[in-house]
Amino acid sequence: MSADVHERARALIACGEEASWLDEHLASCAFCREFAGAARNVVRALRSIPVTAGPDLISATQMRVRQRARELQLRQERLWAVWICCSSVTLVAGFTTVVLWSGLSWVAQRISIGAPIWEMGYVAVSLMPVVVVAVLLLARGTHLADNEEV
Amino acid sequence: MADQSAEIAQGLRRRDPDLLDRLIEQYQHRLLRYLLHLTGRRDLAEDLFQETWVRVLERGRLYDGRRDFTAWLFTIARNLFIDQRRRRQPQTEEPTELDATAAGQPSALDLAIEREQSRHILAGMDRLPAEYREALSLRFQEGMSLEEIAGVIGAPLGTVKSRIYRGLSSLEPWLKGGAL
Repeated sequence: MSADVHERARALIACGEEASWLDEHLASCAFCREFAGAARNVVRALRSIPVTAGPDLISATQMRVRQRARELQLRQERLWAVWICCSSVTLVAGFTTVVLWSGLSWVAQRISIGAPIWEMGYVAVSLMPVVVVAVLLLARGTHLADNEEV
Repeated sequence: MADQSAEIAQGLRRRDPDLLDRLIEQYQHRLLRYLLHLTGRRDLAEDLFQETWVRVLERGRLYDGRRDFTAWLFTIARNLFIDQRRRRQPQTEEPTELDATAAGQPSALDLAIEREQSRHILAGMDRLPAEYREALSLRFQEGMSLEEIAGVIGAPLGTVKSRIYRGLSSLEPWLKGGAL
């Protein structure tokens, strides 16, 4: 019998495939039968070893998972709140812009101010809060720099 | 099996804590045993055990229920083990302390022999390369199919077969030397 046949038989013993061919081979090959016996011993021994997780580990894990679930839920709720705030602000800003634009246009016509002038004025006034906040933040250092100090 | 996986997937999408409690209890021994074979150390295995379930909670929405939950769970545990191994300095692995008991009601002598044989095999397992140890554990302790193992370890089927075969072959002289 060639070495390849034994090699094939051993691989099949390990992987549990081609049972009929393997049975035939094992019936006539003591060498591979011995390997099959050793493999069975390993399998039996591995299956007979109960590894038990202690109740402390289980309860600690369950508690940790529940705590993390609460944290994730809180984070999710905060994200919803932020999303709702952002959406509301966007809607209100859009509506306000349209109303103010129409109002200023009407006032400018009444007091005879040219369109480029009141339009530039409107943009400047709109951007003013953002510019002021940016200047203030730059004056006291960036937000990230503050966090790093902590 | 498919129904159970789908039910688990739904529960994980909801981050249902009761479902997670049940899963932790259901898979406690299998997961810890697998981690013990991966790490070779009880303390590390227990840390990873907790980390794995936290990760299951966080990534539960990615589980679609089409794949067997056990294989998915073991994949998470394995990835965490790999991450941890990358982070830590290599440490010498101490032999795992496992309780070996025989099934049923054996005599004291049978019990002692079984325990001795199990210890002997475990000692042999500890000397195997981690990838062989992992393949043998998944195949023979967890009873996974070759395809499932390939999914867990992210390797081709041929590699899985080869690792199981080489693992058993490497254990053979060890077993012969300590035949009882």
